[in-house]
Amino acid sequence: MEYSNLRRQTIFMKKNLFDQGFLDEQFNQLEELQDESSPNFVEEVVDLFFKDSSRLLTNIEQAIDKYPQDFYRLDSLVHQFKGSGSSIGALRVKNECSVFKAHCNDRSLEGCRRSFQKIKREHATLKQKLESYFQLLRQVGPREHAVSSRK
Amino acid sequence: MAPAEEAGGEFPVGMKVLVVDDDPTCLAVLKRMLLGCRYDATTCSQATRALTMLRENRRGFDVIISDVHMPDMDGFRLLELVGLEMDLPVIMMSADSRTDIVMKGIKHGACDYLIKPVRMEELKNIWQHVLRKKFNENKEHEHSGSLDDTDRTRPTNNDNEYASSVNDGADGSWKSQKKKRDKDEDDGELESGDPSTSKKPRVVWSVELHQQFVNAVNHLGIDKAVPKKILELMNVPGLTRENVASHLQKFRLYLKRIAQHHAGIANPFCPPGSSPNIGSLGGLDLQALAASGQIPPQTLAALQDELLGRPTNSLLLPGRDQTALRLSAVKGNKPHGEREIAFGQPIYKCQSNAYAAFPQSSPTVGGTFSAWSNKLGMADSTGTLGSMSNSQNSNIVLHELQQQPDAMLSGNLHSLDVKPSGIVMPSQSLNTFSASEGLSPNQNPLMLPSQSSGLLAAMPPSMKHEPVLATSQPSSSLLGGIDLVNQASTSQPLISTHGGNLPGLVNRNSNVLPSQGISTFQTENNPYLVSQNSVGVGSKQPHGVLKTENSDPLSRNYGYIGGGAPLMDSGLLSSQSKNTQFGLLQNQDDLTGSWSPLQNIDSYGNTIGLSHPGSSFQSSNVPLGKFPDQGRGKNHGFVGKGSCIPSRFAVDEIESPTNNLSHSIGSSGDIMSPDVFGFSGHM
Repeated sequence: MEYSNLRRQTIFMKKNLFDQGFLDEQFNQLEELQDESSPNFVEEVVDLFFKDSSRLLTNIEQAIDKYPQDFYRLDSLVHQFKGSGSSIGALRVKNECSVFKAHCNDRSLEGCRRSFQKIKREHATLKQKLESYFQLLRQVGPREHAVSSRK
Repeated sequence: MAPAEEAGGEFPVGMKVLVVDDDPTCLAVLKRMLLGCRYDATTCSQATRALTMLRENRRGFDVIISDVHMPDMDGFRLLELVGLEMDLPVIMMSADSRTDIVMKGIKHGACDYLIKPVRMEELKNIWQHVLRKKFNENKEHEHSGSLDDTDRTRPTNNDNEYASSVNDGADGSWKSQKKKRDKDEDDGELESGDPSTSKKPRVVWSVELHQQFVNAVNHLGIDKAVPKKILELMNVPGLTRENVASHLQKFRLYLKRIAQHHAGIANPFCPPGSSPNIGSLGGLDLQALAASGQIPPQTLAALQDELLGRPTNSLLLPGRDQTALRLSAVKGNKPHGEREIAFGQPIYKCQSNAYAAFPQSSPTVGGTFSAWSNKLGMADSTGTLGSMSNSQNSNIVLHELQQQPDAMLSGNLHSLDVKPSGIVMPSQSLNTFSASEGLSPNQNPLMLPSQSSGLLAAMPPSMKHEPVLATSQPSSSLLGGIDLVNQASTSQPLISTHGGNLPGLVNRNSNVLPSQGISTFQTENNPYLVSQNSVGVGSKQPHGVLKTENSDPLSRNYGYIGGGAPLMDSGLLSSQSKNTQFGLLQNQDDLTGSWSPLQNIDSYGNTIGLSHPGSSFQSSNVPLGKFPDQGRGKNHGFVGKGSCIPSRFAVDEIESPTNNLSHSIGSSGDIMSPDVFGFSGHM
């Protein structure tokens, strides 16, 4: 059936996201929280993250430009970003944030810059992939989320 | 699950959780998880707003979960404040899993520390913290002095300042305790929480109660002060050993903070030996005090230990205070016998009227004092404290306190020595308190005027009794308000300001009016309000007000807060401090309050050492302003005696001069509620 195909696709897509390290266990936790009372919970939270994270990324970028030597500040900003990302299970993003923080520790501006670019890329990629994923899920139907989300 | 405490609902279903985090994603996730655990979750993205919510409705929440890094307030500070004012369990959380940060959380009193991302399983268990706390408090209640054999035979845990052992109580005993507690609820100064709830009523550590506590601690000596003995000394019906134990624990935290703050104003974690200041400060005062017979050697030693040995907590004192503290610290090193107040500036600068805080002009009062007062926000108004009516004063004081919680507390507290008598004398002796003030240190307990500039003794203007705080009254306002004062801006608990004065030193009479709604500490007797002016202090000063009279050395009111007058209601206190100040703010007032020249006024304005028999300075309620944000921040405001319920430690209680220099134990930085130790009224 079309429906089962769609379902299979979502399962597959999700599996990929996990296998490729874009998402981690936290994402599963979010899906478990989804139920009839909040059928779109995961998507909502992910949207919230991407909205907020854009702002954070802008802040970080500005900070790198304006206060390039203020590693404390940079570290702090990225820390926020990291915490936020970890809440939705954004694994790659989180890992790259750790790298960034390590560069801050080493006071390597260049390292920070490079790392930041990577963070931005990972962030954009994840955003895109999750958008596709949710789109597919919507086609499958809300009820399916709770079911299909559990691998 | 434990038997349901609440009427209805099986605990922990419906447990009220407040989540504070600036990250909206995390908030959303947590909220959903908590709802999934069947808790009642409220989210808040700003710490300051969360505090307001909590203050408005103390019993509205059972547990708080807070992020560590927040833009408007440091999570640790919030932690301290909540602990002080509301005595609610706080769980910290962060993406930061470094051991030192986690340790910091524990030191600040966090019940638990979760690493983000938080999993649902972890949240499912948080009810334990609520229950555990309740259990402990129940036990405290049970012991209202009486006699609960089972409680007495409890393992000494209870005596140790840790309430965690309470859990061993069986459900049954818990229940019976609860019943007993209910029965005892109305006893004495215990204010039981909402009787209709099954929650165990919290002891409201009013200024008076706190003062008594501090007195007892001072009497026993800080290192020998065990809950059971304290309880006996206090002799308050309805108070249980557990109450005392948990209060003592907080108090010690405060002292530590103050010590640390004092010692390492700039170093949050200064190693024990690293701050010579503290040692010297503490030592100075202590020694002086000891020498003067004011404090027993053991207390001195204990204080010193506390000062030096304390782990480095984040500095309690708010940045502002640091300066003051430093000053005081520096000064505090003066040779024994120097009465100079460490702070260079008169602490009294109470703001305007209310305290008439120690006027700037009163350098004599002791530098510390002024420093305090300045910080406290005392305006330079040299207004006389004296005539303010208590209520007025208290309000003003409170207000003042709010403003500068830090100032007062920080500086002075530290120097306050814990005198057995409970007078906390700031290490710096008040300059002005020369004996000429006429204060007669009635009691030994009051720290000697000479010693410390315990400004705190601030004598309330209304001290009728005697301006000098020295009154022997055992008022206990603990100036512990260490925290009280601070906190204005810093997250440091007020306590830190005290620095030298250690624990227990609570100005007895420090009628410190915490700006935060600290109830005026005025105690009737300002025992010690070292009011400088105390001697001459007008005594009319309203008790509650921490009046510092600057202009008139004698008549100065020491920023005592609360003295008898209906102290500021905790609402005042709390409202005031926007900044996480603890109710210790009062301290500020107190501090600036009158000191008697003779007495050392502890930073909180409690006059130390001046025991003035009649001094009315007592801060009856000295709800100290809130205190350092350490938030405590366990900062603690020290609570003055007074009607206001002192926040726990947050308020500096102005103890009777004899006893103690109450240091405003402000929990970290914020002196919020008048609770002495932050038990603001909330049981």
